[in-house]
Amino acid sequence: MNWIQVLLIGAIVSLLFYLLRSRSSAKTKAWVKVGYLLFVIAAVYAILRPDDTTVVAHWLGVDRGADLIGYVLIVAFIFTTMSTYMRFKDLELKYARLARAVALQSAQQPEHPNESA
Amino acid sequence: MGIDAHYPDVWIVVPAYHEATVIGDVVADLRTEFGNIVVVDDGSRDGTATAALRAGAHVVPHPVNLGQGAAIQTGVEYARAQPGAQVFATFDADGQHRVADVVAMIDRLRRDDLNIVVGTRFGHVSGAGAPARVPALKRIVLKAAAWLSPSSRKLGLTDAHNGLRVFDKRVADGLNLTMNGMSHAGEFIALVAENHWRIGEETVEILYTDYSLAKGQPLLNGVNILFDGLLRGRLSR
Repeated sequence: MNWIQVLLIGAIVSLLFYLLRSRSSAKTKAWVKVGYLLFVIAAVYAILRPDDTTVVAHWLGVDRGADLIGYVLIVAFIFTTMSTYMRFKDLELKYARLARAVALQSAQQPEHPNESA
Repeated sequence: MGIDAHYPDVWIVVPAYHEATVIGDVVADLRTEFGNIVVVDDGSRDGTATAALRAGAHVVPHPVNLGQGAAIQTGVEYARAQPGAQVFATFDADGQHRVADVVAMIDRLRRDDLNIVVGTRFGHVSGAGAPARVPALKRIVLKAAAWLSPSSRKLGLTDAHNGLRVFDKRVADGLNLTMNGMSHAGEFIALVAENHWRIGEETVEILYTDYSLAKGQPLLNGVNILFDGLLRGRLSR
Protein backbone atom coordinates (compact mmCIF):
# COMPACT_ATOMS: atom_id res chain seq x y z
CA MET A 1 0.00 0.00 0.00
CA ASN A 2 1.27 3.46 -0.88
CA TRP A 3 1.43 6.27 1.62
CA ILE A 4 -1.00 8.31 -0.47
CA GLN A 5 -3.52 5.48 -0.17
CA VAL A 6 -3.13 5.43 3.61
CA LEU A 7 -3.60 9.21 3.79
CA LEU A 8 -6.66 9.28 1.53
CA ILE A 9 -8.39 6.40 3.31
CA GLY A 10 -7.60 7.96 6.67
CA ALA A 11 -9.10 11.29 5.55
CA ILE A 12 -12.28 9.72 4.21
CA VAL A 13 -12.87 7.50 7.24
CA SER A 14 -12.33 10.37 9.68
CA LEU A 15 -14.83 12.45 7.66
CA LEU A 16 -17.28 9.57 7.97
CA PHE A 17 -16.94 9.54 11.75
CA TYR A 18 -17.33 13.30 11.85
CA LEU A 19 -20.51 13.12 9.79
CA LEU A 20 -22.03 10.21 11.74
CA ARG A 21 -21.42 11.98 15.02
CA SER A 22 -23.15 15.22 13.99
CA ARG A 23 -26.55 15.31 15.64
CA SER A 24 -28.79 16.95 13.03
CA SER A 25 -32.37 16.01 12.25
CA ALA A 26 -33.80 12.61 11.49
CA LYS A 27 -34.89 10.98 8.25
CA THR A 28 -33.34 13.03 5.46
CA LYS A 29 -30.06 13.11 7.31
CA ALA A 30 -30.19 9.34 7.64
CA TRP A 31 -30.28 8.96 3.85
CA VAL A 32 -27.39 11.38 3.52
CA LYS A 33 -25.44 9.14 5.90
CA VAL A 34 -26.31 5.98 3.98
CA GLY A 35 -25.24 7.71 0.78
CA TYR A 36 -22.03 8.80 2.40
CA LEU A 37 -21.32 5.28 3.63
CA LEU A 38 -21.67 3.99 0.06
CA PHE A 39 -19.39 6.77 -1.10
CA VAL A 40 -16.77 5.82 1.47
CA ILE A 41 -16.84 2.17 0.40
CA ALA A 42 -16.48 3.16 -3.25
CA ALA A 43 -13.72 5.63 -2.42
CA VAL A 44 -11.69 3.14 -0.40
CA TYR A 45 -12.07 0.58 -3.18
CA ALA A 46 -10.96 3.13 -5.78
CA ILE A 47 -7.95 4.06 -3.69
CA LEU A 48 -6.85 0.46 -3.21
CA ARG A 49 -7.44 -0.54 -6.83
CA PRO A 50 -7.15 2.71 -8.87
CA ASP A 51 -7.04 0.85 -12.16
CA ASP A 52 -10.58 -0.43 -11.66
CA THR A 53 -11.91 3.12 -12.06
CA THR A 54 -10.47 3.04 -15.56
CA VAL A 55 -12.53 -0.06 -16.26
CA VAL A 56 -15.69 1.75 -15.15
CA ALA A 57 -14.60 4.78 -17.20
CA HIS A 58 -14.32 2.61 -20.30
CA TRP A 59 -17.88 1.34 -19.78
CA LEU A 60 -19.02 4.97 -19.88
CA GLY A 61 -16.87 5.96 -22.83
CA VAL A 62 -14.27 7.89 -20.82
CA ASP A 63 -10.58 7.25 -21.42
CA ARG A 64 -9.09 7.30 -17.94
CA GLY A 65 -10.45 6.60 -14.47
CA ALA A 66 -8.93 9.85 -13.23
CA ASP A 67 -10.97 11.78 -15.83
CA LEU A 68 -14.14 10.02 -14.70
CA ILE A 69 -13.42 10.97 -11.10
CA GLY A 70 -12.84 14.56 -12.24
CA TYR A 71 -16.26 14.69 -13.95
CA VAL A 72 -18.00 13.20 -10.92
CA LEU A 73 -16.26 15.77 -8.74
CA ILE A 74 -17.48 18.66 -10.92
CA VAL A 75 -21.08 17.45 -10.80
CA ALA A 76 -20.88 16.90 -7.05
CA PHE A 77 -19.45 20.39 -6.60
CA ILE A 78 -22.26 22.01 -8.59
CA PHE A 79 -24.83 20.04 -6.62
CA THR A 80 -23.28 21.14 -3.34
CA THR A 81 -23.12 24.76 -4.47
CA MET A 82 -26.77 24.78 -5.47
CA SER A 83 -27.98 23.12 -2.28
CA THR A 84 -25.92 25.55 -0.21
CA TYR A 85 -27.42 28.45 -2.16
CA MET A 86 -30.95 27.17 -1.53
CA ARG A 87 -30.15 26.65 2.13
CA PHE A 88 -28.83 30.18 2.44
CA LYS A 89 -31.97 31.58 0.80
CA ASP A 90 -34.04 29.59 3.26
CA LEU A 91 -32.06 30.88 6.21
CA GLU A 92 -32.26 34.42 4.86
CA LEU A 93 -36.03 34.17 4.84
CA LYS A 94 -36.16 32.88 8.41
CA TYR A 95 -33.78 35.62 9.46
CA ALA A 96 -35.97 38.23 7.76
CA ARG A 97 -39.05 36.90 9.55
CA LEU A 98 -37.27 37.02 12.88
CA ALA A 99 -36.10 40.58 12.26
CA ARG A 100 -39.63 41.51 11.13
CA ALA A 101 -41.12 40.18 14.37
CA VAL A 102 -38.62 42.28 16.33
CA ALA A 103 -39.37 45.34 14.16
CA LEU A 104 -43.14 45.03 14.61
CA GLN A 105 -42.70 44.82 18.37
CA SER A 106 -40.62 47.96 18.47
CA ALA A 107 -42.88 50.05 16.21
CA GLN A 108 -43.13 53.71 17.18
CA GLN A 109 -46.21 55.85 16.68
CA PRO A 110 -46.10 59.57 15.98
CA GLU A 111 -46.91 61.69 19.02
CA HIS A 112 -49.82 63.46 17.40
CA PRO A 113 -50.91 61.15 14.63
CA ASN A 114 -54.03 63.09 13.78
CA GLU A 115 -52.59 66.56 13.58
CA SER A 116 -51.22 68.31 10.58
CA ALA A 117 -47.48 68.08 10.18
CA MET B 1 -56.23 70.49 3.50
CA GLY B 2 -58.13 68.27 5.84
CA ILE B 3 -55.86 65.64 7.25
CA ASP B 4 -57.39 62.20 7.75
CA ALA B 5 -60.79 63.34 6.64
CA HIS B 6 -60.09 62.21 3.07
CA TYR B 7 -58.58 58.80 3.51
CA PRO B 8 -58.86 57.42 7.04
CA ASP B 9 -58.82 53.83 5.73
CA VAL B 10 -55.70 54.28 3.59
CA TRP B 11 -52.20 53.31 4.75
CA ILE B 12 -49.09 54.39 2.88
CA VAL B 13 -46.10 52.07 3.25
CA VAL B 14 -42.73 53.74 2.70
CA PRO B 15 -39.63 51.49 2.77
CA ALA B 16 -36.60 53.63 3.58
CA TYR B 17 -32.88 53.01 3.82
CA HIS B 18 -30.54 55.93 4.50
CA GLU B 19 -33.01 58.58 3.40
CA ALA B 20 -32.67 60.99 6.33
CA THR B 21 -32.18 64.02 4.08
CA VAL B 22 -35.42 63.56 2.15
CA ILE B 23 -37.73 61.34 4.23
CA GLY B 24 -39.08 64.25 6.26
CA ASP B 25 -40.21 66.10 3.14
CA VAL B 26 -41.63 62.96 1.56
CA VAL B 27 -43.69 62.18 4.68
CA ALA B 28 -44.82 65.81 5.03
CA ASP B 29 -45.87 65.80 1.38
CA LEU B 30 -47.84 62.56 1.87
CA ARG B 31 -49.48 64.00 4.96
CA THR B 32 -51.11 66.75 2.93
CA GLU B 33 -53.47 64.00 1.70
CA PHE B 34 -53.05 60.99 3.95
CA GLY B 35 -53.14 60.57 7.71
CA ASN B 36 -51.70 57.07 8.01
CA ILE B 37 -48.12 56.64 6.91
CA VAL B 38 -45.79 53.88 8.02
CA VAL B 39 -42.11 54.24 7.29
CA VAL B 40 -40.13 51.01 7.54
CA ASP B 41 -36.61 51.99 8.46
CA ASP B 42 -34.52 49.22 6.95
CA GLY B 43 -31.66 49.36 9.42
CA SER B 44 -30.46 52.88 8.54
CA ARG B 45 -27.79 54.49 10.67
CA ASP B 46 -28.40 58.07 9.55
CA GLY B 47 -31.44 59.15 11.57
CA THR B 48 -34.04 58.16 8.95
CA ALA B 49 -36.33 56.85 11.70
CA THR B 50 -36.16 60.05 13.77
CA ALA B 51 -36.80 62.25 10.75
CA ALA B 52 -39.78 60.15 9.69
CA LEU B 53 -41.23 60.08 13.19
CA ARG B 54 -40.86 63.84 13.55
CA ALA B 55 -42.68 64.34 10.24
CA GLY B 56 -45.63 62.38 11.63
CA ALA B 57 -45.18 58.85 10.33
CA HIS B 58 -45.40 55.58 12.19
CA VAL B 59 -41.95 54.00 12.21
CA VAL B 60 -41.18 50.28 12.18
CA PRO B 61 -37.42 49.84 12.50
CA HIS B 62 -35.70 46.76 11.14
CA PRO B 63 -32.91 45.86 13.56
CA VAL B 64 -30.68 44.99 10.58
CA ASN B 65 -30.75 45.86 6.88
CA LEU B 66 -32.89 43.29 5.04
CA GLY B 67 -33.67 44.88 1.69
CA GLN B 68 -36.61 46.66 0.12
CA GLY B 69 -38.79 43.59 -0.41
CA ALA B 70 -38.55 42.68 3.26
CA ALA B 71 -39.28 46.28 4.24
CA ILE B 72 -42.43 46.38 2.11
CA GLN B 73 -43.62 43.11 3.63
CA THR B 74 -43.00 44.45 7.14
CA GLY B 75 -44.84 47.70 6.39
CA VAL B 76 -47.83 45.87 4.93
CA GLU B 77 -47.98 43.51 7.90
CA TYR B 78 -47.97 46.50 10.24
CA ALA B 79 -50.58 48.38 8.24
CA ARG B 80 -52.97 45.48 7.70
CA ALA B 81 -53.13 44.93 11.47
CA GLN B 82 -54.36 48.49 12.04
CA PRO B 83 -58.08 48.84 12.75
CA GLY B 84 -60.04 50.12 9.77
CA ALA B 85 -57.25 49.73 7.25
CA GLN B 86 -58.75 48.91 3.84
CA VAL B 87 -56.48 50.38 1.18
CA PHE B 88 -52.69 50.20 1.07
CA ALA B 89 -50.04 51.87 -1.05
CA THR B 90 -46.31 51.41 -1.46
CA PHE B 91 -44.40 54.61 -2.06
CA ASP B 92 -40.64 55.01 -2.53
CA ALA B 93 -38.82 57.08 0.08
CA ASP B 94 -36.55 58.97 -2.32
CA GLY B 95 -39.21 61.41 -3.45
CA GLN B 96 -39.58 60.12 -6.99
CA HIS B 97 -43.33 59.54 -6.77
CA ARG B 98 -46.11 62.11 -6.77
CA VAL B 99 -48.81 62.12 -4.11
CA ALA B 100 -51.36 63.11 -6.76
CA ASP B 101 -50.66 59.81 -8.54
CA VAL B 102 -51.51 57.85 -5.39
CA VAL B 103 -54.83 59.69 -5.13
CA ALA B 104 -55.60 58.92 -8.77
CA MET B 105 -54.70 55.25 -8.25
CA ILE B 106 -56.95 54.96 -5.18
CA ASP B 107 -59.82 56.43 -7.18
CA ARG B 108 -59.10 53.97 -9.96
CA LEU B 109 -59.01 51.02 -7.52
CA ARG B 110 -62.45 51.92 -6.25
CA ARG B 111 -63.97 52.97 -9.55
CA ASP B 112 -62.95 49.87 -11.51
CA ASP B 113 -63.34 47.47 -8.56
CA LEU B 114 -59.76 46.26 -8.82
CA ASN B 115 -57.67 44.49 -6.18
CA ILE B 116 -54.47 46.24 -7.15
CA VAL B 117 -53.36 49.16 -9.29
CA VAL B 118 -49.70 49.47 -10.25
CA GLY B 119 -48.00 52.54 -11.58
CA THR B 120 -46.48 52.51 -15.04
CA ARG B 121 -44.00 54.87 -16.63
CA PHE B 122 -45.03 53.70 -20.07
CA GLY B 123 -48.78 54.26 -20.13
CA HIS B 124 -50.69 55.11 -23.25
CA VAL B 125 -52.71 57.79 -21.54
CA SER B 126 -51.41 61.18 -22.52
CA GLY B 127 -51.31 64.17 -20.22
CA ALA B 128 -48.68 63.40 -17.63
CA GLY B 129 -45.97 63.30 -20.25
CA ALA B 130 -44.32 60.54 -18.30
CA PRO B 131 -42.88 58.35 -21.06
CA ALA B 132 -40.49 60.97 -22.36
CA ARG B 133 -39.04 61.51 -18.90
CA VAL B 134 -37.56 58.03 -18.45
CA PRO B 135 -33.84 57.94 -19.36
CA ALA B 136 -33.33 55.98 -22.59
CA LEU B 137 -31.26 53.06 -21.29
CA LYS B 138 -33.43 52.63 -18.23
CA ARG B 139 -36.46 52.62 -20.47
CA ILE B 140 -35.10 49.76 -22.58
CA VAL B 141 -34.13 47.69 -19.55
CA LEU B 142 -37.47 48.22 -17.82
CA LYS B 143 -39.41 47.28 -20.93
CA ALA B 144 -37.26 44.19 -21.35
CA ALA B 145 -37.87 43.26 -17.70
CA ALA B 146 -41.62 43.57 -18.14
CA TRP B 147 -41.49 41.49 -21.30
CA LEU B 148 -39.21 38.79 -19.85
CA SER B 149 -41.41 38.15 -16.83
CA PRO B 150 -44.00 35.49 -17.70
CA SER B 151 -46.59 36.75 -15.21
CA SER B 152 -46.10 40.34 -16.25
CA ARG B 153 -46.58 39.43 -19.89
CA LYS B 154 -49.62 37.32 -19.08
CA LEU B 155 -51.22 40.24 -17.27
CA GLY B 156 -50.30 42.63 -20.06
CA LEU B 157 -48.24 44.94 -17.88
CA THR B 158 -45.85 47.47 -19.33
CA ASP B 159 -43.73 48.31 -16.29
CA ALA B 160 -42.97 45.55 -13.82
CA HIS B 161 -40.67 47.48 -11.53
CA ASN B 162 -42.56 50.54 -10.47
CA GLY B 163 -42.43 51.32 -6.75
CA LEU B 164 -45.90 52.81 -6.72
CA ARG B 165 -48.71 50.34 -6.02
CA VAL B 166 -52.16 50.67 -4.49
CA PHE B 167 -54.01 47.59 -3.30
CA ASP B 168 -56.91 46.44 -1.15
CA LYS B 169 -57.17 44.34 2.02
CA ARG B 170 -57.39 41.08 0.10
CA VAL B 171 -53.99 41.67 -1.50
CA ALA B 172 -52.50 42.93 1.76
CA ASP B 173 -53.69 39.86 3.65
CA GLY B 174 -52.43 37.52 0.96
CA LEU B 175 -49.09 39.23 0.50
CA ASN B 176 -46.10 37.10 1.42
CA LEU B 177 -42.94 38.47 -0.19
CA THR B 178 -40.00 36.16 0.28
CA MET B 179 -37.49 37.97 -1.92
CA ASN B 180 -35.82 40.32 0.50
CA GLY B 181 -33.85 42.34 -2.01
CA MET B 182 -34.90 44.15 -5.16
CA SER B 183 -36.48 41.11 -6.80
CA HIS B 184 -39.72 41.63 -4.89
CA ALA B 185 -41.31 43.63 -7.72
CA GLY B 186 -41.38 40.59 -9.97
CA GLU B 187 -42.51 38.43 -7.08
CA PHE B 188 -45.34 40.87 -6.35
CA ILE B 189 -46.59 40.54 -9.91
CA ALA B 190 -46.19 36.75 -9.79
CA LEU B 191 -48.37 36.68 -6.65
CA VAL B 192 -50.99 38.75 -8.46
CA ALA B 193 -51.04 36.20 -11.28
CA GLU B 194 -51.12 33.18 -8.95
CA ASN B 195 -53.94 34.55 -6.79
CA HIS B 196 -55.95 35.93 -9.73
CA TRP B 197 -56.12 39.38 -8.19
CA ARG B 198 -57.70 41.90 -10.55
CA ILE B 199 -54.96 44.28 -11.63
CA GLY B 200 -54.90 47.59 -13.46
CA GLU B 201 -52.17 49.96 -14.56
CA GLU B 202 -52.21 53.69 -14.10
CA THR B 203 -49.84 56.10 -15.77
CA VAL B 204 -47.68 57.86 -13.22
CA GLU B 205 -44.94 60.40 -13.42
CA ILE B 206 -41.54 59.62 -11.96
CA LEU B 207 -39.57 62.61 -10.78
CA TYR B 208 -36.04 61.66 -11.78
CA THR B 209 -34.12 64.03 -9.56
CA ASP B 210 -30.35 63.75 -9.19
CA TYR B 211 -30.98 62.37 -5.73
CA SER B 212 -33.38 59.62 -6.82
CA LEU B 213 -31.15 58.69 -9.77
CA ALA B 214 -28.17 58.37 -7.47
CA LYS B 215 -30.16 56.28 -4.98
CA GLY B 216 -31.91 54.15 -7.59
CA GLN B 217 -30.74 50.65 -8.30
CA PRO B 218 -28.04 50.24 -10.90
CA LEU B 219 -29.23 48.68 -14.12
CA LEU B 220 -26.80 45.80 -13.61
CA ASN B 221 -28.99 44.71 -10.73
CA GLY B 222 -31.40 43.53 -13.42
CA VAL B 223 -29.21 40.44 -13.74
CA ASN B 224 -29.82 39.58 -10.09
CA ILE B 225 -33.52 40.19 -10.49
CA LEU B 226 -33.73 37.93 -13.52
CA PHE B 227 -31.82 35.15 -11.75
CA ASP B 228 -33.99 35.36 -8.63
CA GLY B 229 -37.10 35.29 -10.78
CA LEU B 230 -36.00 32.04 -12.41
CA LEU B 231 -35.17 30.42 -9.09
CA ARG B 232 -38.29 31.55 -7.33
CA GLY B 233 -40.45 28.68 -8.48
CA ARG B 234 -37.98 26.19 -7.01
CA LEU B 235 -37.94 27.67 -3.55
CA SER B 236 -40.26 26.08 -1.08
CA ARG B 237 -42.40 28.25 1.09
